[in-house]
Amino acid sequence: MNNEYNGLLTLSPSPHLKSGDSIQTVMRDVLIALAPAFVWSIVAFGVMAAVLTALSVALCVFFEAAYQLLTKQKVTVSDLSAAVTGVLLAFNLPSSCAWWVLIPGAFFAIVIVKQLFGGIGKNVVNPAIAARIFIFVSWPSQLSVFKEPMSDAVSSATPLASAKTGIISAEYSALDSFLGFIPGCIGEVSALCLLLGFAYLLVRRVISWHIPAAFVGTVALISFIFPQAGSRTEYLAVSVLSGGLLLGAVFMATDYVTSPVTSGGKLIFGVGCGLLTVMIRFFGAYPEGVSFAIMIMNLLVWYIDRLTAPRPFGRIRERRGKKE
Amino acid sequence: MLYTFKGGIHIKEYKLTAAEPVQRLPAPARVRIPLSQHIGAPCTPTVSVGDTVDKGQMIGDVAQGLGCPVHATVSGRVSAIEEVFTPAGRKMRRIVIENDGEDRLCPDIAPLGRPVCDITPQECVEAVRLAGVSGMGGATFPTYAKISSALGKVDKLIINCAECEPFITADHRLMLEEPRSVINGAELLASVFGTEGAMIAIENNKLDAAQALRDALGENGNIHIKIMKTKYPQGDERQLIYALTGKELPAGKLPSDLGCVIFNVETCVNIYRAVNERMPLIERIVTVSGDCVSAPKNVLAPIGTSISELISFCGGFKRKPEKLIIGGPMMGVAQWDPDTPVTKGTNAVLAFSEELCGKADTRYACLHCGKCVRGCPMHLMPLYLAQYASIHDYVMCEKFSIMSCVECGSCTYVCPGKVPIVQLIRMGKARIREEAAAAAAAKQASELRPAEKETEKKPVRQ
Repeated sequence: MNNEYNGLLTLSPSPHLKSGDSIQTVMRDVLIALAPAFVWSIVAFGVMAAVLTALSVALCVFFEAAYQLLTKQKVTVSDLSAAVTGVLLAFNLPSSCAWWVLIPGAFFAIVIVKQLFGGIGKNVVNPAIAARIFIFVSWPSQLSVFKEPMSDAVSSATPLASAKTGIISAEYSALDSFLGFIPGCIGEVSALCLLLGFAYLLVRRVISWHIPAAFVGTVALISFIFPQAGSRTEYLAVSVLSGGLLLGAVFMATDYVTSPVTSGGKLIFGVGCGLLTVMIRFFGAYPEGVSFAIMIMNLLVWYIDRLTAPRPFGRIRERRGKKE
Repeated sequence: MLYTFKGGIHIKEYKLTAAEPVQRLPAPARVRIPLSQHIGAPCTPTVSVGDTVDKGQMIGDVAQGLGCPVHATVSGRVSAIEEVFTPAGRKMRRIVIENDGEDRLCPDIAPLGRPVCDITPQECVEAVRLAGVSGMGGATFPTYAKISSALGKVDKLIINCAECEPFITADHRLMLEEPRSVINGAELLASVFGTEGAMIAIENNKLDAAQALRDALGENGNIHIKIMKTKYPQGDERQLIYALTGKELPAGKLPSDLGCVIFNVETCVNIYRAVNERMPLIERIVTVSGDCVSAPKNVLAPIGTSISELISFCGGFKRKPEKLIIGGPMMGVAQWDPDTPVTKGTNAVLAFSEELCGKADTRYACLHCGKCVRGCPMHLMPLYLAQYASIHDYVMCEKFSIMSCVECGSCTYVCPGKVPIVQLIRMGKARIREEAAAAAAAKQASELRPAEKETEKKPVRQ
């Protein structure tokens, strides 16, 4: 009667319950949130968009598994983080881009930026962003030609790129940009689809509104005040809806690993990303500044976290001039 | 409006036994009564092996220092005074009593015989000490010491009915089944402390209990039922005080420094019994639950009952248990011995399957998601505390206020990367305490030997 159970019991410190969240569930939610933009990319740019995305995912997963096998670590590709990197990398390239750039791109993202720094959670900058920049500076011609949506015609300029030259393209209306009937990278053209994904991430509480709102808000405000082409509203629409702003603000700047943890920090981070994006767009050589802006802000995350550390409960700050 | 605090987390409640009336456990054939059931010095036995004891008879007391006596919880014969290991690896003594089945109550126990409102605070403190009442919410601080240290300092009396841990329903049932006893206790304490009334703080997942208490209140308009948001750790006294008064308890201060005194609801009922009936604390309500228990129940069990007996009373195990836990799932202690007895602080006995408590994750990664920061009731940054503790950087740990951590485990519960955050923090805190103690000892030693101190300094001067 005394020992009804004589088996082994586990002894471990509390807590004895954990939430059902895991890295895998978080990454799965991000992939679900990216799904509308993926579907739209196939509609707009044809099957090639899907092929490039699938290849990018396969390469990222392959490099992660290969690196972990070679270094005799546990293979963690089932946490889906490499898959997310793969999707984001492809989404940041035009569908006309040569498939082989994905090989150095995925290698750079997964091995150089992520694994050499210690794997998931340890990377300093976002792997997909760093890889996009790597491809961009190494093979610039691959990222300067875009396909027209719903056609085989090739366009050399996104609406944002034309605005850079001082012309608001008459070809694409703001509504076209919002729905996704503009040339651009695979995953960035449809603001509507990206906003759907944003809404899903908010509802699932995967991310908070702070970074995207501060980022987009800053870019919108400055673009409205200092239009570089056309009228204020025209330039506002182009700068927010064209170029990778929404994709970057919703999916890349909010990457947990490379963004601050406090709400205040997230606002600072978002505003910083926005300011840098605008500065690069206005004064830089490139029409597009989102990736550079995010990567620069990634480097400041630790300082922003320290700066915005909350005041611990019960530690009331002592008043200055106590000595008097 | 619901009272609450900033931070904290929502946990699935698992209150499986909320509708189970408290059932009295038939007195077990043997009880094992630990001599250390409270914070402070352990008791010294006042009986010897072979003695016959009555139910409610004092069998161990603390001669000096903090601590309160323990009592026999059945009548019978002392068969052994044994030394055992606690789950924390410390040694602890306990008195084993074989029940003779006569249920003889100790003749010293006689009701007060006059209205409780007439007693002086000192009489109350003494009665509570003699009855061996200690905090029953889990912290087990000797209650007489809390009352006497707070006398004359407090103007707010709070009865803590938050019961914010999942699974546990002992307090909930007590309020539903004996609302008048809760009110009696609150009225007694209010008169002892001379406070205008009392606040009874309940989470909004127990509105039926709040209604029962309101019905029992009658004319007394000085006792206020405060409904709080269901959130963990709402029952922590710092969060409770903040929720009700808006004041932050400064680090290192006691609630009485803010004019507050807080009692768990079952403690409050037992204070009343100690004063009015002179009844020592020999039994308590234990929630027996978890996904491995066939028929989870709330059980009124004598102190010293083994947890295996409680589980048998609840139909035994229905599946293989991975962990046996005394206390709640968030802050309770996993046990290795099914003979471990129920003590004054045991509000729950839980049996969890591997599926529920999860296997220890050997590989974990911090995603830097910030969920722990949002969930921390102490407004710390648990991810950095864990990170610095794991690389033994205690200077940075202290910069991030590691010592403010209350070890509630919220951070670890929400972590998607499965980082053992609170475990790493505990390790860091322990090391900092050790180093501080070693430094203090070294300082003391050097002050005792000033000559040596001089020689130590010399090379620096040269």
